[in-house]
Amino acid sequence: MDVVLEADRLGKRYGNNWALRDCSLRLPAGRIAALVGPNGAGKSTLLHLAVGLLRPDAGTVRVFGESPYDNRGSLADIGFVAQDTPLYRDFTAAELVTAGAKLNQRWDGDLARNRLAQLGIPPDRPVGKLSGGQRAQVALALALAKRPRLLLLDEPVASLDPLARREFLQSLMGSVADAGTTVLLSSHLLADLERVCDYLIVLNAARVQLLGAADDIVADHRRLVGPRHDGGPIGGVAAVVRASHTDRQSTLLVRTDGPITDPSWTVREVALEDLILAYLADVDSTTSHSAWGVPA
Amino acid sequence: MIWMAWRQHRRQVLFTLLAFAALAALMVPIGLAMRNSFADLGLPQCVRDLASAGVAPETRDSCEQGFHRFTNQYGALNLVAVLLLILPLLVGLFWGAPLVAREVEHGTHRFVWTQGISRQRWALVKVGLVGTVVLALAVCYGLGMSWWVDPLTKTAQEGRLGFIVFDLQGVVPIGYTLFAVALGIFAGTVWRRMLPAMAVTLFGYVGVRAAVEMLARPRYQPAETLTFPITGAEPQEGRGDWILANGIRDADGKMVLEGSRIMCPPADQMPQGRVCGEELGLGPGAYNWQLYQPADRFWLFQGIETGIFVALALLLVYLAVRWIRRIA
Repeated sequence: MDVVLEADRLGKRYGNNWALRDCSLRLPAGRIAALVGPNGAGKSTLLHLAVGLLRPDAGTVRVFGESPYDNRGSLADIGFVAQDTPLYRDFTAAELVTAGAKLNQRWDGDLARNRLAQLGIPPDRPVGKLSGGQRAQVALALALAKRPRLLLLDEPVASLDPLARREFLQSLMGSVADAGTTVLLSSHLLADLERVCDYLIVLNAARVQLLGAADDIVADHRRLVGPRHDGGPIGGVAAVVRASHTDRQSTLLVRTDGPITDPSWTVREVALEDLILAYLADVDSTTSHSAWGVPA
Repeated sequence: MIWMAWRQHRRQVLFTLLAFAALAALMVPIGLAMRNSFADLGLPQCVRDLASAGVAPETRDSCEQGFHRFTNQYGALNLVAVLLLILPLLVGLFWGAPLVAREVEHGTHRFVWTQGISRQRWALVKVGLVGTVVLALAVCYGLGMSWWVDPLTKTAQEGRLGFIVFDLQGVVPIGYTLFAVALGIFAGTVWRRMLPAMAVTLFGYVGVRAAVEMLARPRYQPAETLTFPITGAEPQEGRGDWILANGIRDADGKMVLEGSRIMCPPADQMPQGRVCGEELGLGPGAYNWQLYQPADRFWLFQGIETGIFVALALLLVYLAVRWIRRIA
């Protein structure tokens, strides 16, 4: 199994704050991976490290086996769409396609033009005057025209309305399916990406909380409902992610490592979205409480 | 990349050229009128005469009168010249500061730096293009201003070496302009926002210019001293010398009256019983003293000052290009 993106104890610090810390992950080739986390979780930092805009302060990141920072060789294989799809607003879409040809050695201008024609995007209007959805499509077309082996998209649909989101993701999937491009796209909402992704990286508070193929993750987790539980081991449970209790009853969200045989527990499957919310809620808030001077 | 830089800045180039042309359209007629008056008053001949030793006092007087009339008519234009001093600063503010800062403000640096070229190359092409355009403008500005202020400087006693007129002509405008642009680029790279970058450029430019002008320029070469007695004929001073300090010293060389000079008629022509400088407390043997830079050092000083600012500009560009690696 080829690994496209590999991070080992990767960290990035701004002043005293770690935007990303101890991040270790391997993204296998051919996956469509979702990078999910709340705002400020470190998603953009991770993507900027992967595309080589940032230099790591700790650990390493490798893309196709090479360190991407200040590395023109690995840039050629990465397509990147930054947050808010920044483009030169006074350039027309056609001029941006020309600009791409001037700035890249490998460049498929016809691919970009065909896509944009298909999407009905006017070639002669400044992109600053296009709608947000159209601008995102232009940015995607430019990224795809590099014929990248890895496509990194930072919150590509965050500013789009639901219809434009769906169209954007559909057109993205349509174009990467044949080429076998590995895709990593970030969002603070899983709902945006659930339909299209088969791999998941959950990031929260600068750390990786959950990582793996979406199917495996769903298969590994169960919701248990049973009599009030005091924290002892349960057969087949590797870890309790989240627990809530009433006087008599406990509901546990657990990661399993085998079949749960204890008949006192009712075992249910968990939807991916609930699972991620459980992981995201599980954040240490002690520092925040001490910063505000209130008891936790 | 050159196509890209040109496409990005072509409108800015156009507006700059238009502004420059408008300024020229305003200044050239004034300059021509000024030169015509200068010639009509016979002043070019005066300039030649006064440069040579042993001018007849009558010629000197009539020339001084001519210069005086010219100054009455056109002296106010010195204020216009002062206004033109800010042109290099404007170029630094509007060409230098936004070069990197605007990319970062709009986020487009994340687009262009993730294409297939390195940021160093991107930066060098941009700086190169902007530098070339600015250099061409600065050469035109320097030549144009040399032509324009020429009559004014010939009229002024302190000549081309004086404050402000020195800064307007010759090759120094090129150094100033390159420095202003480099400072803008550097500030925009470090602060990454246009407004702070422009503020830093403004204050940095004014500060460095003032410091060099006040502190460094008078010391590019050891100044020369001229002493002459307080009585008798006026000394043969070179027109256009830049006088740094003057005063009257007593026989021991001690400064008695700073910032002044006196000239008495020879002793036998003094009103009876009066001794030159007596009421000022000057003893016998007192003499006038002045510290000055001779007029013929103009080009040497121009070269030194231009060199300083070009070197500063290169340093700032180098630092900015290094610093660009830190922006994400």
